[in-house]
Amino acid sequence: MCSSAVRYYWYLWHFGVGRLAVPLLTISVCYSFFFSVAVADSNPRGTPPLSDKMDGQGARRLWAFQPPRKAALPPVNDKTWVGNSMDRFILNRLEQNSLHPSAPATPRELIRRVYFDMLGLPPSPLDIDAFLADDSSDAYERLVDRLLENHHYGEKWAQHWLDVIRFSESEGFEYDRHLPGAWRFRDFVIQSLNEDKPFDRFLREQIAGDEMQPVTNDRLIAAGFHRFGPVRRNAGNPEVAFSRNEVLTERTDIIGTAFLGLTIGCARCHDHKFDPITQEDYYSLQAFLAATYEHNEIIASPQEKDRWLSESKPIQQRIEEVEKKVNSAQGVERRRLRRALQKLKSQLPPAPTTATTIKNDEATRTTIHVLKRGSWEQQGDRVRMRFPRVLASQNTPELPADTSHPRTKLADWLASPENPLTARVIVNRLWLYHFSNGLVNTPNDFGQNGERPSHPDLLDFLALHLIENGWRLKSLHRMILLSNTYRQSSRTPPSQHALATDPENRLLWRFNRRRLMAEELRDAMLAVSGRLNTKMFGESIVLPVDQELMDLLYKPDQWQVTKDRREHDRRSVYLIAKRNLRLPFMESFDQPTLQNSCARRESSTHAPQALELLNGSISNELADAFAKRLVREVGADPARTVERAWLLATGGPPNDGQAKLAQEFLNEQPLREFALAVFNLNEFLYVH
Amino acid sequence: MFTNPTDHRKAHSRRTRSRREFLRDACCGFSGLAFASMLRAEQVRRAPPNPLAPKPTHLPAKARAVIFLYMAGGPSHMETFDPKPLLNRLSGQKRPQEFGEAKYQSIKSDAKLLGTTRAFRRYGQSGIDVSDLFPHVATCVDDLAVIRSCYGDSVVHSAAQYELFTGRLVPGAPSMGSWLTYGLGSESESMPSYVVMPDPDGALPAGQPMYTQGFLPANYQPTMFRPGEKPILNLDLPHGISMNRRQRTIELIRRLNEASLAEEDHEFSARINAYDLAFKMQTEAPDILDLSKETKDTLDLYGVGSEPTHDYGRRCLLARKLVEEGVRFVCVVSGGGSGRLTWDAHDDIDENHLRLAVQTDKPMAGLLKDLKQRGLLDTTLVLWGGEFGRSPEAESLKGRDHHNLGFTMWMAGGGIRGGRIVGATDAIGLRAVDKPYHFRDIHNTILHQLGLDQNQLTYPHLGREERLTFLEGKLITEII
Repeated sequence: MCSSAVRYYWYLWHFGVGRLAVPLLTISVCYSFFFSVAVADSNPRGTPPLSDKMDGQGARRLWAFQPPRKAALPPVNDKTWVGNSMDRFILNRLEQNSLHPSAPATPRELIRRVYFDMLGLPPSPLDIDAFLADDSSDAYERLVDRLLENHHYGEKWAQHWLDVIRFSESEGFEYDRHLPGAWRFRDFVIQSLNEDKPFDRFLREQIAGDEMQPVTNDRLIAAGFHRFGPVRRNAGNPEVAFSRNEVLTERTDIIGTAFLGLTIGCARCHDHKFDPITQEDYYSLQAFLAATYEHNEIIASPQEKDRWLSESKPIQQRIEEVEKKVNSAQGVERRRLRRALQKLKSQLPPAPTTATTIKNDEATRTTIHVLKRGSWEQQGDRVRMRFPRVLASQNTPELPADTSHPRTKLADWLASPENPLTARVIVNRLWLYHFSNGLVNTPNDFGQNGERPSHPDLLDFLALHLIENGWRLKSLHRMILLSNTYRQSSRTPPSQHALATDPENRLLWRFNRRRLMAEELRDAMLAVSGRLNTKMFGESIVLPVDQELMDLLYKPDQWQVTKDRREHDRRSVYLIAKRNLRLPFMESFDQPTLQNSCARRESSTHAPQALELLNGSISNELADAFAKRLVREVGADPARTVERAWLLATGGPPNDGQAKLAQEFLNEQPLREFALAVFNLNEFLYVH
Repeated sequence: MFTNPTDHRKAHSRRTRSRREFLRDACCGFSGLAFASMLRAEQVRRAPPNPLAPKPTHLPAKARAVIFLYMAGGPSHMETFDPKPLLNRLSGQKRPQEFGEAKYQSIKSDAKLLGTTRAFRRYGQSGIDVSDLFPHVATCVDDLAVIRSCYGDSVVHSAAQYELFTGRLVPGAPSMGSWLTYGLGSESESMPSYVVMPDPDGALPAGQPMYTQGFLPANYQPTMFRPGEKPILNLDLPHGISMNRRQRTIELIRRLNEASLAEEDHEFSARINAYDLAFKMQTEAPDILDLSKETKDTLDLYGVGSEPTHDYGRRCLLARKLVEEGVRFVCVVSGGGSGRLTWDAHDDIDENHLRLAVQTDKPMAGLLKDLKQRGLLDTTLVLWGGEFGRSPEAESLKGRDHHNLGFTMWMAGGGIRGGRIVGATDAIGLRAVDKPYHFRDIHNTILHQLGLDQNQLTYPHLGREERLTFLEGKLITEII
């Protein structure tokens, strides 16, 4: 008990809740609290003994390390509310807590919600009219099925995955070098989602696409997954082992985060403080990547390749000659040669079609050691490939260092139905994007310090459903969208009881309204103003930005604006993802920084957002276009203008007060100012 | 029993959940959520209705704002505040073995030591040495706490810049300005609370990511001032729109949004407030940014209107005006664009440092004096320094390479005790040997002066409760 109390105080201190300690302690000893940290509790120094942690059953006691269990469908009282099996899990918990589900959303709310959720775009007035006019009992079901087949689905959901794997087309740090053809990976994700590629295959292609037979361009592109972390390249004395270690660290950590939902990176410098993952586990996982090296594979047609080779070869030869000289030159001569080198490089013809990918190079395979404090200079024991012990079956042996196709082995294990995490983690991500909260609300951390699931049985039910349905995500979307849980209204005011027991709405007594993501917002403005260019795929778009913004780049000439003006109106998923220059519009609406995995977007509210929408070039340009569209479609009549603008932007009519205000405004002020105001409506910026 | 064992405090793996979620899980799980209302108070810092509202400090605060005079590229300590007579005597020789090893960015192990041609003198009552590069700053020396024993973990610009600003060698973590804004909120209603004024010559190797809010919400992003007369993006009305007209539009937006507002909708109320604030910024900022009403004496004090001090002087003066308005963190960058235009003196230390010092010396001294005469220095902490210092060895005969194992930064104001020298490098300036202080110690000391506790100022990210100082920072007790 004594050590428990010490740890309890320590936790409060360590997590910065010291000021709450006294009131909390006076309430009572919280048994569930002690239970949740009990694994680490028997050692007075606080560091759990490893043998216990790793080998005993204790290590696997955390729910996330146990295989998903098929639970019986839970009992409910109000059977009439239950639409599908999923609803039973939700209703059961609501009833246990004396909470009630909300009334259904109106058809108008529902169609706008499901359009933004699935496509990231607003429904057109025609879509809305057709849906409202359809009296058949399966109208909504058919709408959902149509949306699941809509190609915009892949564009919307690709962004979520790209967030998770911190996809970027440039390497960051000072050179922020662009990766050739990195946009092909984005297209691979969109394509895979649209064709409902089984998630286990999607995973395998990313982890080990280059090892798969037969070799295809798509698989090489998919394996580009390993290339999208920040990479530091430096002039001067290169510390090869250090750089290699940085690269391996990035690549290992993202696998843990994206697929396992574990903060495995914490075990780089020391045994994981909270999860049963040792440093040895960490480096054994890294060992699967020991032979993996970056590689840009030319996938151009033979003709294109030949042409490129013949044009570039003579220049390339001279580059190599000069490079040799640079290495031995000093001072002024060195600088002269460097300039010559730069000039030569600029004369190279544009690169042929290339896949940003990786390959195994057995000859230069890195020997992996446990690194003390994660420092490449402090090598400990050598380790070989092995899966983290707490997640693998007992006595899984190390694989020999020369195992062929090492990442295929890793991918097979990750995608195995026996892996307790992979299915749960992706199912939880899907849930989070639909409901704004995850079943586990720490989607990148299912470990000891992550949150416990709000509905553990439901999470397992969905994970098993995914596996049973061949890992097809669309079957999961369909189940979620057709549930009554999803169809609830978001406008139900919270009862006193709900406020007291579940103020965060984790039990889903209503739907969570959400602000549009930065990309959705820009896309919706393009769609509403009639300017959206729906062309799919291809090279990333570089929008024009102010010179002042470009000057914030260390190498401003990297920002080569896309010449074709029409391309500037494409969906935001096609805009270049460059680490060192993000669009102010996107930044201010919480686009992630592209540096680390982002599992859920922030939704902040601040004055620069208002300034962006009021004075920014994107909103003003599109307000002009919106105004012109309104004139085109309804002429000059204020009442019809207001009606139409609301329908386009919010999916419904204005209320009486709004209609009156807007019409009065239009009598005196220009239409484009009204159009701009509509972009600033909460009903436009939010989905109910 | 309440004090935490130090070995625990060294752990940087933190929990993922928000404190609120943690307590809820810990105490009740999901079945009973009775602590919710109590937890709401605790959540104030994380998600108040207006996330930028001023927040209570953890400790009594001595300062309320920070101005960082950032010397990008890495100024030499041996040419500025850390005289090394022995280095002059050993000039042209190889480094004696007893000083140990160092890894540099460019120069090789056969490099020879380089003495300095700068002359040092002792100034003020404190008698602190300052070189002839900074005759104006030297007159403020009794307000400076000169930390001669700083060190960082990288000898490369980008990584060192990330560490200086965010405490991490890699991009993606929030900068100190964002952390302060998150921790303290904003005191200004017409200015953003965290401002960076880059050098108009261009960007730095670490680029934008070193200044940004990282994984914190966008409320805490920096406002990057642009060169020229209109520094704030989107503050100007679009072409052809008058203020009067735009005011009507903003009024319409407010009334339309109010017309659909349910009672007690904090989020939407905050949105409406954001427009009010935006409007206030739009109308009041131009006045604050207008230097034409400053007296000639003030302008002269900063060297505004004469070269080569005009630009840096203008930005230092703006920094003072922003702090007066309640801005929390202002970074005034000296150096940008190509390496030659920063303090990155690889080729010729004298040419480079003379050129940059003469641009910055008078403006910095002007800032210190101006803050002092307005009574603002007591509550404004001024920090000076770069992402590293420079090598005792020569590069390209007359230049110096990057060097991270020992260099100088100084602080003034904000409760810092001036007229002091803290720590020391060895006799050739290679390594901090006495009281070495890392960037995280600088960060921690700044947080402390502003009333924040590094262990309480946290944010959950990827499984850890992250803080500015990453590993725990020490307090530089000698100067507080």
